[in-house]
Amino acid sequence: MTRLLTLSLLIGSALLAQDGSTKENWPEYGGQNSAWRYSALDQVDTSNVAQLAAAWVFQTGDNDGGLQSTPLVIDGVMYVSTSHNRVFALDAVTGKRLWSYIYELPKTFTTFYGPWNRGVAISEGRLVMGTLDNHVVALDAKTGRQLWKVNVEDANQCGCNITAAPLIAKGKVIVGVTGGDSAHRGYLNAFDLKTGRHLWRFWTIPGPGEKGHETWQGDSWKFGGGSTWMTGSFDASLGLVYWAVGNPAADFYGGNRKGDNLYTDSIVALDVETGKLKWHFQQVPHDVWDWDAAYEIVLAEIPINALPRKVLINVSKGGYTYVLDRTTGEFITAWPVAKNINWIKGVGPKGELLGRNEPVVGKPKLICPSIGGGRSWNHGAWSPKAGLFFTTGIEWCEEVTAQAETPSEGKTFFGGTFKLVPTPDKKSGGHLGAYEPLTGKAVWKYEYKYPLLASVLATAGNLIFTGDAEGDFFALDARSGKKLWSFNTGSGHRGSSISYSVNGRQYIATPSGWGSAVAGLMQQFWPETEQFPNGSAVFVFALPEQKR
Amino acid sequence: MKLAIRVFFFLPALLLADQAGTSLGTSAVVARGDKLFAQGCAVGYCHGSAGAAARSPRLRGRTFERDYLVKVIRDGIPNTAMPAWGDRLTDDDINALVAYIQSLATASGDGPAPSETASLAPPVAVKDSDLSPDVRQGRELFYDPQRLQRCSNCHRVQGIGTPVGPDLAKLSRAQLAAEAVNALKYGRPRRVQGIVTKDGDRFPAILIERGPSETRIYDLKAIPPVQRNLPTTEIQSIQQPSGWRHSQAVQSYATDELKAVWTFIRWVTERK
Repeated sequence: MTRLLTLSLLIGSALLAQDGSTKENWPEYGGQNSAWRYSALDQVDTSNVAQLAAAWVFQTGDNDGGLQSTPLVIDGVMYVSTSHNRVFALDAVTGKRLWSYIYELPKTFTTFYGPWNRGVAISEGRLVMGTLDNHVVALDAKTGRQLWKVNVEDANQCGCNITAAPLIAKGKVIVGVTGGDSAHRGYLNAFDLKTGRHLWRFWTIPGPGEKGHETWQGDSWKFGGGSTWMTGSFDASLGLVYWAVGNPAADFYGGNRKGDNLYTDSIVALDVETGKLKWHFQQVPHDVWDWDAAYEIVLAEIPINALPRKVLINVSKGGYTYVLDRTTGEFITAWPVAKNINWIKGVGPKGELLGRNEPVVGKPKLICPSIGGGRSWNHGAWSPKAGLFFTTGIEWCEEVTAQAETPSEGKTFFGGTFKLVPTPDKKSGGHLGAYEPLTGKAVWKYEYKYPLLASVLATAGNLIFTGDAEGDFFALDARSGKKLWSFNTGSGHRGSSISYSVNGRQYIATPSGWGSAVAGLMQQFWPETEQFPNGSAVFVFALPEQKR
Repeated sequence: MKLAIRVFFFLPALLLADQAGTSLGTSAVVARGDKLFAQGCAVGYCHGSAGAAARSPRLRGRTFERDYLVKVIRDGIPNTAMPAWGDRLTDDDINALVAYIQSLATASGDGPAPSETASLAPPVAVKDSDLSPDVRQGRELFYDPQRLQRCSNCHRVQGIGTPVGPDLAKLSRAQLAAEAVNALKYGRPRRVQGIVTKDGDRFPAILIERGPSETRIYDLKAIPPVQRNLPTTEIQSIQQPSGWRHSQAVQSYATDELKAVWTFIRWVTERK
């Protein structure tokens, strides 16, 4: 009987398993809505990658903030968004521009959270994008003609905007918001893909009368941050949208928001139809370090005790990777991606934090990692073929001085200052590791003198691609971490590379263009990086025609 | 013109402040600037500690013209991350910040260790003293960020909101004198029309522009309104009246709250 049950569970799980790999197309921000960033294409592999050569380059013409987006490719057309909400549609074989769209921003406008855009979403011939002035726009993907535009909230009032790619699930455009370092109450919104009409809002901070509201002191819920500044994931079989919620505000001072501060620093699972909360898991109750849980949520099937289990993998800014059961929200494990972590002593068997080391008011305190994170937002990749999760990590510390601060709607709300300092072992820098998802054991690690700030791409050719601060875009052997190929694009890497194919030819594409808040922060510690040139171009590589 | 007047009043204040700074010793002014900088400028997305580089440019070890600094702090730099601080800082504050930033000109590129500063006072709040409690309450309700449905979804007042509906600062005396709350609750604005598309969708809308190939509208079926560009050939008919009532847009407000909102609108109109 038990065996029968086990067998039926196995079959059931196999049927429900979500294939998150990409093939000819790269249709969603994370590859597919399960955020694997894994291409099943294997024409380029460890044996021939050394012959990889540039096929074409597209210069976007706007260097401000670098190029941080993930290009999408659908049926031979590449769509790439840049700073200031410009969108280009390119022939994915030649790089020829098919159409371009320049979003009209207000004439006088300040963009506190940076001018960049990290991607668009496309479905049913419609391309959607969040804007710097907190609108969502939809374009005709064939022509670039604007179809609809809706203001989520006045950017001048909320001090917030949208830089992340939206997620499209079941005809709904689900889109987050920045504002976690401002006096603002975060949310997630769903709009109808066809008409732009608002469908639901999930407040990341519960209002009066709602469960979880009691975790906020006084009026602090009105200004408590909880931004949703990256892109979530979607499991169609469960009908659940997963989103990771950012830090509470003020970042470093929690004296006027006593309590757990739900649902900041939490993973939330929402019903895609209603936006209602199905479950949540809070990584950091009452965060006073600015440890967003905002990064990507990778939906994988991993065998646990010989049974395949639907899990999610999420790297948090505090430097821990969390693995949860994504049906129930149950904590499975957490393991560090950085060596230098001193804000806690560890994570307990139920996911609880052990030994908190909090900043104090008026006195500098050494905290590791720095505010830039044990990893920045640049995404990891899950290879089902290797059974490994590939992610970067950063070794750096800071001196934080907390200070009491009262909120002013829509204005910055940090509650402290910080300065980057070396790690106690004087070995600051970055690395990319291949990790076993349940043990956190690193099969290999690639070390680099600066933080690695570009996303990771994994392919079925047993290759791992990413780029570094000095402009090298390179390929590693997924099994050993050995560098097999590299190409200098002339500007550092802060975006997300992809793979696609047209007419049977596999391409690897990467944004190149140094910039961003964390790249700026690096100058405090590595002054020479001030001289690293900005850029904004898409580089596309393929094997020479005769070699494939 | 408005800017010129501001500068005219602004400069003497700065000069006075500068003189005071000199006679009292500039170190006190610089120290004050140091505190203000640490609190408002040396934050994550902006400048680094003590003018070190961060997302925004390094200020240490660089020379800036005084007038340039004053202008940038007060007015911000459009289309960049540098906001205007003119509404949040006093002239003395700006003067102190300028003195502090100028004091960094001879500093080396690396920032010093953060000074051990005690807990700072809250930032300067926007002065509300010239507003009556009713006006203040109405203003809060008008822009209330905790409501999905709020007045500023469809009206822009004092630069905040989406200008879908009429400019409330330009209401006539007759309109102001009318029984306002009833209008807010039961009014049927004539400019709202009913659109029927060829695929059978019916919705209330405001026509922005009807061209031969494209018709631009605000779709009012859901809040916030959606600006849509429909191919003119997709529109079956445009009907008037639409049956839409203003009450649909103010359902989240109680009658007392609408009264307060109206007090705020009167105040805006009269100021104009």
